[in-house]
Amino acid sequence: MGAVFRAVFGYCFLVFMMRIAGRRPGKQITPFEFVMIFFMGGITLTSMVADDQSFVNAASQILAVALAHYGITVAKLRWPAFGRLVDGTPLVLYDHGHWRAEAMESFRLTPDDVLAMVRDQGLERLDEIDYAILERNGEISIQPQKS
Amino acid sequence: MPVSSPTHPVEDSVSKVNDELAVGSDLKFQQRWWKFERIIWTIFTIFIALNIAGLFGRGPLAKARMRAADGSIDVHYERIERHQSPSVLSVQFGPNAIHDGKVQLWVSESLIRTLGNQRIAPQPETSALDRGGILYTFPATTPPVSVEFALQPASSGTANIALGVPGMRRVSAKVFVMP
Repeated sequence: MGAVFRAVFGYCFLVFMMRIAGRRPGKQITPFEFVMIFFMGGITLTSMVADDQSFVNAASQILAVALAHYGITVAKLRWPAFGRLVDGTPLVLYDHGHWRAEAMESFRLTPDDVLAMVRDQGLERLDEIDYAILERNGEISIQPQKS
Repeated sequence: MPVSSPTHPVEDSVSKVNDELAVGSDLKFQQRWWKFERIIWTIFTIFIALNIAGLFGRGPLAKARMRAADGSIDVHYERIERHQSPSVLSVQFGPNAIHDGKVQLWVSESLIRTLGNQRIAPQPETSALDRGGILYTFPATTPPVSVEFALQPASSGTANIALGVPGMRRVSAKVFVMP
């Protein structure tokens, strides 16, 4: 019984930590973030498994994590406010030649991160875009300038 | 007849930037979240500092000592243990505890059951069930003599432990096992 609770707690705790430690996954992921994600996962694993290395334990913990994940997904659909808590909301980072400093600083993003996405879109300069938006999944989407 | 699934019209409820780009951002919520994040980071820092200090076990604050008033035993232990983490409880005997080349030590059952005693060094010569605990007998010559219990708590919670030399003052303490 304890193993199932440990698994659910471990999952929820990691979701919370990733939410706190920064929304920079997806295309913004760097080796620096990889280290954090794998390290956190590895540390959580030791206390989740504890001394029970049986298949039953592994299966029940995987099921528990899957169920917790399903529960969070359903709750996000049913209660938009909960979805906002888990995923946040999209945020404008760049708006017609102006950086939104508060959003950039709070997400610890640099103009280089946005410029990388500008180049990814086949564009060359910031004045070729109207908006850069940090999406809920951590990707930066670019709105090219309306011609 | 083709089966149709229910549909509903698109509602334009997504917030827009500059009245043109439908982003669905909520700056007010984000600002509240950032404030919450700052508080959480402060709490994390305090948590780590307390952890290093030993408030959650394995640090200077967790280490404790208790001595029998008659000097028969001096116990070094950890008042905060951690679930499944090894630790050592050591008992040093005073000269008045040694009789006929032997020293006896009574320990409460909680030391074995709750705190999960794994090994005793040195091995006792005899051990016997005695008044809700276990009475160990060790061969001993001249002081200082000490015995070590290797603990590994099997469950979390509070444990009341007691130790003593038969016929002398006992010492007792509350140990908290962190989950």
